Amino acid sequence: MLRMPEPNQNTLARRKDIIAAMRDIVPAIGGVIVDEDQLRPYECDGLMAYRQLPMIVVLPENTGQVAAILKYCHTNKIRVVPRGAGTGLSGGALPMADAITISMMKFNRVLEIDWDNRAAVVQPGVTNLGITRAVEHKGFYYAPDPSSQIACSIGGNIAENSGGVHSLKYGLTTNNVLGLEMVTIEGEVLRIGGKGLDQTGYDLLGVITGSEGLLGIVTEVTVRILRKPETARALLLGFNSSEEGGNCVAKIIADGIIPGGLEMMDAPAIKATEDFVHAGYPLDVEALLLVELDGPKVEVDYLIEQVGAIAKACGAVYSRISESEEERLLFWSGRKNAFPAIGRISPDYMCMDGTIPRARLAEVLTGMQVLSQRHGLRVANVFHAGDGNLHPLIMFDANQPGELERAEEFGADILKLCVEVGGVLSGEHGIGVEKRDLMPEMFTKDDMKHQERLKLAFDEDELLNPGKVFPTLHGCGELKTLHAREVANKFPDIPRF
Amino acid sequence: MAEVITPSTPEQLREAIGWAVGTNSPLEVFGSASKRAFGHAVAADHVLDLSKLSGVLFYEPEELVLSVRAGTSLAEIQAVLREKNQQFHFEAGNFPGLLGDGGAENAGTIGGLIATNLSGPRRIKVGAARDHLLGFEAISGRAEDFKSGGRVMKNVTGFDLSKLMSGSFGTLGVMHTITMKVMPCDEKTRTVLIACDDIERAGAAMTRAMGSENEVSAAAWLAASDIAKLGIDVASTMSSGVVGLRVEGPAPSVAWRCEALRKLLAEFGTTEELHTINSHSFWKSVADVMPFSGGTGILWRVSGAPASGGRIAAKLAAETGGQVMMDWAGAQIWLLLPGDDAKAGQVRQIAQSEDAQAVLVRAPADMRAAVPVFHPEDAALARINQKIRDNFDPAGILNPGRTRPIASDGGHA
Repeated sequence: MLRMPEPNQNTLARRKDIIAAMRDIVPAIGGVIVDEDQLRPYECDGLMAYRQLPMIVVLPENTGQVAAILKYCHTNKIRVVPRGAGTGLSGGALPMADAITISMMKFNRVLEIDWDNRAAVVQPGVTNLGITRAVEHKGFYYAPDPSSQIACSIGGNIAENSGGVHSLKYGLTTNNVLGLEMVTIEGEVLRIGGKGLDQTGYDLLGVITGSEGLLGIVTEVTVRILRKPETARALLLGFNSSEEGGNCVAKIIADGIIPGGLEMMDAPAIKATEDFVHAGYPLDVEALLLVELDGPKVEVDYLIEQVGAIAKACGAVYSRISESEEERLLFWSGRKNAFPAIGRISPDYMCMDGTIPRARLAEVLTGMQVLSQRHGLRVANVFHAGDGNLHPLIMFDANQPGELERAEEFGADILKLCVEVGGVLSGEHGIGVEKRDLMPEMFTKDDMKHQERLKLAFDEDELLNPGKVFPTLHGCGELKTLHAREVANKFPDIPRF
Repeated sequence: MAEVITPSTPEQLREAIGWAVGTNSPLEVFGSASKRAFGHAVAADHVLDLSKLSGVLFYEPEELVLSVRAGTSLAEIQAVLREKNQQFHFEAGNFPGLLGDGGAENAGTIGGLIATNLSGPRRIKVGAARDHLLGFEAISGRAEDFKSGGRVMKNVTGFDLSKLMSGSFGTLGVMHTITMKVMPCDEKTRTVLIACDDIERAGAAMTRAMGSENEVSAAAWLAASDIAKLGIDVASTMSSGVVGLRVEGPAPSVAWRCEALRKLLAEFGTTEELHTINSHSFWKSVADVMPFSGGTGILWRVSGAPASGGRIAAKLAAETGGQVMMDWAGAQIWLLLPGDDAKAGQVRQIAQSEDAQAVLVRAPADMRAAVPVFHPEDAALARINQKIRDNFDPAGILNPGRTRPIASDGGHA
């Protein structure tokens, strides 16, 4: 069972004073939420298995208020849980009983579109899709596209370093962020990066992106926007085995083709989605590839033919090319509805998020079937095949005693398998609380200590989003001790001159 | 007595740093010392030379992954990649050659490349070295092993320390293993040239090209006198300053996009086109900053918003009397000064007024001792950076003074 840091009784005893202080800082009606029924919507994020009512929720409206709140929390040693749209799948915004949840959703304005520099400056509560909506009338878009893009906020995307189906070609959030304004726990406002490309000092922009709300609260984001490709077409390719499908992915990339999207589904996922959306997926194949090429029409038409030929050589038993925009969207409709499709055939499902070296795919899928039998639960797989990011969907029924626990064990075993073959615990959903206790599968104690050392440079008192990412956060006293080794003049093997 | 420590295994590296911690002996860390003349001199009696910690650990072209020891030379890596028609997409040039330290033949090691986060013309499309580092293993300034990232393309497991190490100049830890994303070389490359002498107009032309849907993968401007040095006839015969716009991809797409760019930019000046070999040669010269290499003149690199590049470059040229060259669609300006005055106040004042940053890339050692090489940091960011440094290397034994003149390096002399 998930353990969180013990609530601080001293903080709980001061709840009234804290509410008063927050109301002074954020006087707007509804800016400070204290009643249980109104706190309820904040009790979890997209990882709904874990719930906890926050002590209070505050909705600041400007950077000054965020700075004042954090300064107060720092002075009074009160824990803080930052929150965006609450769509995260790893519990990164799970509240704490003794913490203020700071919702950034009133930061919802697009501040500036700089067409010449191809940059958009937005507040963190703007949705991912909201950025594209703000620039698409001139033919631009924001490239990273997590599946929750209609709802998730760009601030949350920064926290999780979100990906999406186009990340093989266009990168993750970290490759598309140019600048940030962030408030530290001490209430200091940092401006990092901007429309230029270089900055003196360590790459703070790079480490803040993906830091899951442990380093500060982002109050402004500058992202790169791109010209929308002139056209896009997709192919559906069916194979008799996942080996053949995986092989085809490898050949496409080895031939120098980097598709805009490159997705794969296994037989259970194909069947569930076809039954749900009737996208015309073949039901007699073991693996289905969805390959999308984007760019100028002449390029797309040329590459579609090349990919078709590669697929044939790799033993594709089914091949269909989209001949219209409607047909392309139909191909995608299956893949994009894979999760709800699984939801239709199972009372509950759990979505995992490991990444593996692509060449190990068949081995991992086989291993997953063995685990499926061992745990007595079904699993379907959708897979960002281009970059090796797996999304196994474990099906269970939470109303059956013990099934949630079994599903969690199954999920942990899958992620351990991913790490065993050279992969990682999370490709795009983050660690949060969900995978926190699995971190030692991938990292040694010293690895974790060095991550914590970065954390402590920003937040010595560990007030920002405690209980997330790190299995046990060392007291900073312990971490700050330098373990000088007794190895002076004692390294016989090293050549010296 | 000064010692050169040359570990050839990660274990030896850990022991060496352990010794340095234990005896409080600061170390100057380098791969092949090819960029020693960049930044500030290190205040250390001992040298940690990583050039023997080298070799390819694995290379899987179909997975787009290469893992090497940090001291592996870029020359060796490039030869390995070329065999499979692959490359580092960020195409860093021969920066050591630019420094005029006699290192033109020595392009450095992968460790040095990451530690300085270099990148070439394609940065505007694909990012810098930091965007292609998948994972690393290192020994920190505490003589402890640590790693981050991995070998897969998509990974959000824990803090992204790969970014932290990129551009850290060896001040946090010493990497011994580096895993990179590699990319296939494009089927075709061509470059559209536009005759344009006016710097600001050249900037506007690049801005328009970048805003189009033609996926320009590099955009630079060189003055007529610099174009003449490239030895590319098609370019020289234009007898003017030239904007170069590179287009890469499948053959039919490249031809189509070049055509579209020539139409789009016709009003800026006459246009020409460089095909495969000339195109490669043009961008190699831009990546190497070839027109400004080989000399000892004082060289600045000013980086700001791309669309401001033309204006900043024009101002720098007019006010300092120097020669300029633009890359990254205007986001990177090279400024070669006449004479032996760095004009740091003037250059930085112009940069600052445009929200840009100025780095003194090439200057005599005594000047680099007197002038901060890197653009002064904002005070709040400097405090965070110092805390990170203190947490990773509390004794300040790794490259003390490398990024800031020693007097202001938090007392880690």
